[in-house]
Amino acid sequence: MEFLSSDNVGVLDLATGEVSEDELAEDLVAEKIGGAAINAYLYEQHQDADPVVLGSGLLTGTLVPGTSLGLMSAKSPLTGALCHVPIVQYAGMELKYSGFDYLVLRGKAPEPSLVWIHDGIADVEPAGDLWGQDVWQTVDAIRSNMGDEMIQVLAVGPAAERGSSLAAVMNNFWPGADRFALGKALAERNIKAIAIRGMGLLEVAEDEDFVERCVELLAKVKEGAWAGKQGFADLAEAMGRPEAGGWLQPLIHRSRASFNVPFAYNSFAMIEGDPSVLTEPDIDEPGVLVSDPLGAMALQELGLGAAEAAGLLRDCAKDGLDAANLAALCQAQGKTDAAAISAALADIDGEVAAPSGPFSPWAPAQPLLADFGESGDAWWQRRQAVAYIMGLDPIFALMSPELSEEVLVEMAALGTELDITAETLDQAVSSLLG
Amino acid sequence: MDLYQPYTARNHGLALVPEPGDRAGGLAPWSGHPRIAVYTGGGSSHSWLWLVEIFERLGFWDLVFADEIDVARGALDQVQVLAVSGGDTFGMARALGPRGAAGLESFLRAGGLYLGSCAGAYLPLNSSKEPLNLFNWVPAKITNLSRHLPRARQMPQKFCTPYGCSYVFHPVREETVLEPTGLAPFGVGQSLRAPLYGGPAMIASGEVEVLATYQGFSERTRFLVDPELARQTLLGRAAVIRSRLGRGCLYLFGPHFEHPGYAEANRLVAEAIYHDLARTGWPGRQAAAAEVPRPLEPGVLRDLRRQVSNARVVALGLEDHPARWRIGRKLYEPAKFRVFCEALWQRLRSRRGALPLAGDPEAVEALTAAWRAIAEGLRALKRELALEQDTQARAEALFSAINRATADFMDIYFRNAYRRLTAPAPFRPDPAPGRRLPTGDRQRRQA
Repeated sequence: MEFLSSDNVGVLDLATGEVSEDELAEDLVAEKIGGAAINAYLYEQHQDADPVVLGSGLLTGTLVPGTSLGLMSAKSPLTGALCHVPIVQYAGMELKYSGFDYLVLRGKAPEPSLVWIHDGIADVEPAGDLWGQDVWQTVDAIRSNMGDEMIQVLAVGPAAERGSSLAAVMNNFWPGADRFALGKALAERNIKAIAIRGMGLLEVAEDEDFVERCVELLAKVKEGAWAGKQGFADLAEAMGRPEAGGWLQPLIHRSRASFNVPFAYNSFAMIEGDPSVLTEPDIDEPGVLVSDPLGAMALQELGLGAAEAAGLLRDCAKDGLDAANLAALCQAQGKTDAAAISAALADIDGEVAAPSGPFSPWAPAQPLLADFGESGDAWWQRRQAVAYIMGLDPIFALMSPELSEEVLVEMAALGTELDITAETLDQAVSSLLG
Repeated sequence: MDLYQPYTARNHGLALVPEPGDRAGGLAPWSGHPRIAVYTGGGSSHSWLWLVEIFERLGFWDLVFADEIDVARGALDQVQVLAVSGGDTFGMARALGPRGAAGLESFLRAGGLYLGSCAGAYLPLNSSKEPLNLFNWVPAKITNLSRHLPRARQMPQKFCTPYGCSYVFHPVREETVLEPTGLAPFGVGQSLRAPLYGGPAMIASGEVEVLATYQGFSERTRFLVDPELARQTLLGRAAVIRSRLGRGCLYLFGPHFEHPGYAEANRLVAEAIYHDLARTGWPGRQAAAAEVPRPLEPGVLRDLRRQVSNARVVALGLEDHPARWRIGRKLYEPAKFRVFCEALWQRLRSRRGALPLAGDPEAVEALTAAWRAIAEGLRALKRELALEQDTQARAEALFSAINRATADFMDIYFRNAYRRLTAPAPFRPDPAPGRRLPTGDRQRRQA
C-alpha cells in the first residue's frame, strides 16, 4: 500500500517479543478501507491468540479536518465481544506515523511489560518497576526514560492491576474513551503501557488536489453551527445539558483540541488555583483535563459539586478508572459523597451496564450543534462506524455533516488512488455492524 | 529538471569501466570512477554529511570516510579525492597534526585532488599560526579578518572566531550570490547561489585561479554585521579558488557548494572532480574487491534500526532545548544530534527491497552497540539538562561518538553500494540503495 500508509502490518508476540511484518495489501484497503474495519479483520485472523489490535483510520493524520483517530480493538471484558476503543487527542495521529498501519498484539507477556512502538519497531520491554505505579507516574517515567515528552502513552493504572471491571485505558495523563474495560484486558496480558512515537511520513497520491480539497473542507466545516464555540460548556449545551456546562464553567481554565480537530472539546478544570489566570501555575497538579465529557456529567448526576467531581476525575485518571462507569456504579450503590468515593476507589467494583454495540458510548449519542437530517441509534452507530473506519474523531463526527460519507469517500480515493466508493464504505460499515 | 541524473548516469557508467590497476608509475588521465575520501575526523562538524548526500545523488558511490588516524595511516594512498567540509579549522589542524599534514601534502604532490569548503577551505591557506602553518599550501589571504571586531547585528556567538590578536568574522550567513569568472571548469555562466556559514572571502595571489566571486546577496541572506561592511568584505572577492601543489590540485570553496539545497553549486563540485582528475591522473589506487555482498539477516538490521530510532526519538526531543556547548572553537546546539540520526535513518528506513547494508554482520552488530550507547547517552543528557546539571563533558563525548558511529555506518553503506554497483547485472541496485524513490505526483512532476 503506497499511499496514506506505512505499508506495514506488524504482529507482535507478547510472550517472545518477536515481530513479524507484512505489507498492507491494497486489496484489503480497497475492500475494508481501514481503521476498525481492518482491525476487525485482523482480530479474526488472529482470534486464536485473543489479540489486541492497534490501528488507525485511512485518513488519520492527514489534513482532512478532524482526522485524529486511532483504535484499539479487542474482546471486551464487559461484553465478551469485539469492541473498538477510540485512541484520541494526539495518540491516534502518533500511531498513524509510528511505522505501523496496524499492529496485532498476540498472547501474554511473561512479566509486566511496556510495548514501545516507534519507526516501525515494536518492542516488548520489562516494566516491573512501573507495575503498581499510577497512570501519571507511569507516563512521567516512560517519557523520562525514553527521552521525549512527545511520546504518547496508553497506560493502565492500579485499577487494571487489581482486575477492576471499571479499569480503562488512559490517554497519557487524562481519561481516554474506553468504556469497555480494555484497561483490564491489557493488564491481564501484563501490559502496563503502550508508548508510541510517530516520526514517519505519509505519501498522498494526488497530493496537490488532496491538500486543496482539505483547505476547502476546513473552511466549510468552520462555518458550522459550532463556530465560535468551544469547550465543555458549549458541548454540554449542544447536548441539551446547559446546567452541566454552567456547573463546571467556573473551574474551566482553557480548552484544548485533539489533533486537527477544529472544535476544542477538551476543557481543563482548575481545582487548585485561579482558573482566570492563564499563566502556568506553580502547583504541580492543579486540575484535570475533562476529556470525557459524559464522565464528568455522570459525576454531576451524583449531585457532586464541580470541584468535587473534578477532583474525582483526577483520581480516576491516576487510578485508571472509567469515571462514567464509576458514577453509574456509585449511583446504583447510593454512594454520593465525593470524599468517601475517593477514599474507597480501590474497593468500588461491580457489574456495570455494557455498551450495546462495538463502539464506545464515550461519544454522545446524538448530533451536536449540527443537522444531519436524521438521528437516533441506527444513525449514531453508522456515523461512528464511518468515523472509526476513516479516522475521524468520534465526537467531531457528530458535529460535522460537511464531512459526509460522500466527501470522506472522495478524500480516501484521492489520497490513495484506489477505487474506494460509497459501496465500498457501505460494505465496510456493514462488516462492523453486522 | 533533475540536475543530478546526468552525473549519476555518467558515474555509474564509469564504475563499470575496468580499473587501470598498476600503470608502472606512469601518469595518465584518470577515466574511471573516482574513489573519494570524506574527512570526518577531529574538528569536522556535521556538514560532512552534506558531502555524503550530494555525492550519493551525483552517483559518486566509491566513498571512504577518513579521520585523522586514517590519514596518518596512509588512507589517502588509496583515493583520488579528499573532501573536507566545515567545522573548526584549528581543531582539524590540531587533529591532523604533522603526520596528517605530511600525508596530505604527499597526497597532493602525487596528484590528489582536495575539495575544501568553509573550514576545509581555510585549512590549506597560508597562515603564520600554529598548527595551521603545517598546511601552508595556498597563497591567498582572507578578507574577513580584522584586528577590530565589528559589532554583531545578530548571532553574536557565531559571528566570529579569535585568530591570534585578530578575529575572523563572518559578515553574513545563509545564501550568497556568486559569479563564475569564466575559468574552467566553472566556465562562463549565470550567477549561482550557495550558502555561507563562516567560510572565507579570499584574495588570490601567485598562480592561484579565481573561479567564482561573491556577487551579491539575496532575500535569504542574514547580515551578521552592518550590510555595508558585509559588501566591502565580500563583494568582488574570491569565493572559490583553485591552486596547484605538485601534481595535485586544491579547490577551496568559501560557501558550501556541497549544501544539498543548491543543486547548481553541487553540479560544479562534480565538474571540478572530472576536470582535474582528467588533467592530473593518479596512479596509486588498488582495485576494489568486487564480491557481491550477502544480505544481512533481517534481525541484525532491525536491531540497528531500533537503536538508531531510539536515538532519533531523543534527538528530536532535545531539538529545541536552549543548551549550547562550545567544542573547540565551534558552538554546538542540540539540534545537531538529530542531523546525524536523520542521515542514517533516511538510509535505513526502507525495510524491504534493496537492503542498504549487507555482507558484514559483525560490523553491523558493532555499529548497533555503538548506537545503543548513543541512545542511552542522549537519554542521560536529556535527564541531566532537565536537572540543570553540567553537560559539557557528556555532550562532547556524544558528539564525538555520534560522528564516529555515523562515519562507520556510511563506510559500510557505501562499500556495499559500490560493490553492488560494480557487481554482475542481476545484483545491481536501484539508483539509490535503500532510499525511497519519488512516487505519485512528485515523481511525475520531476519527470
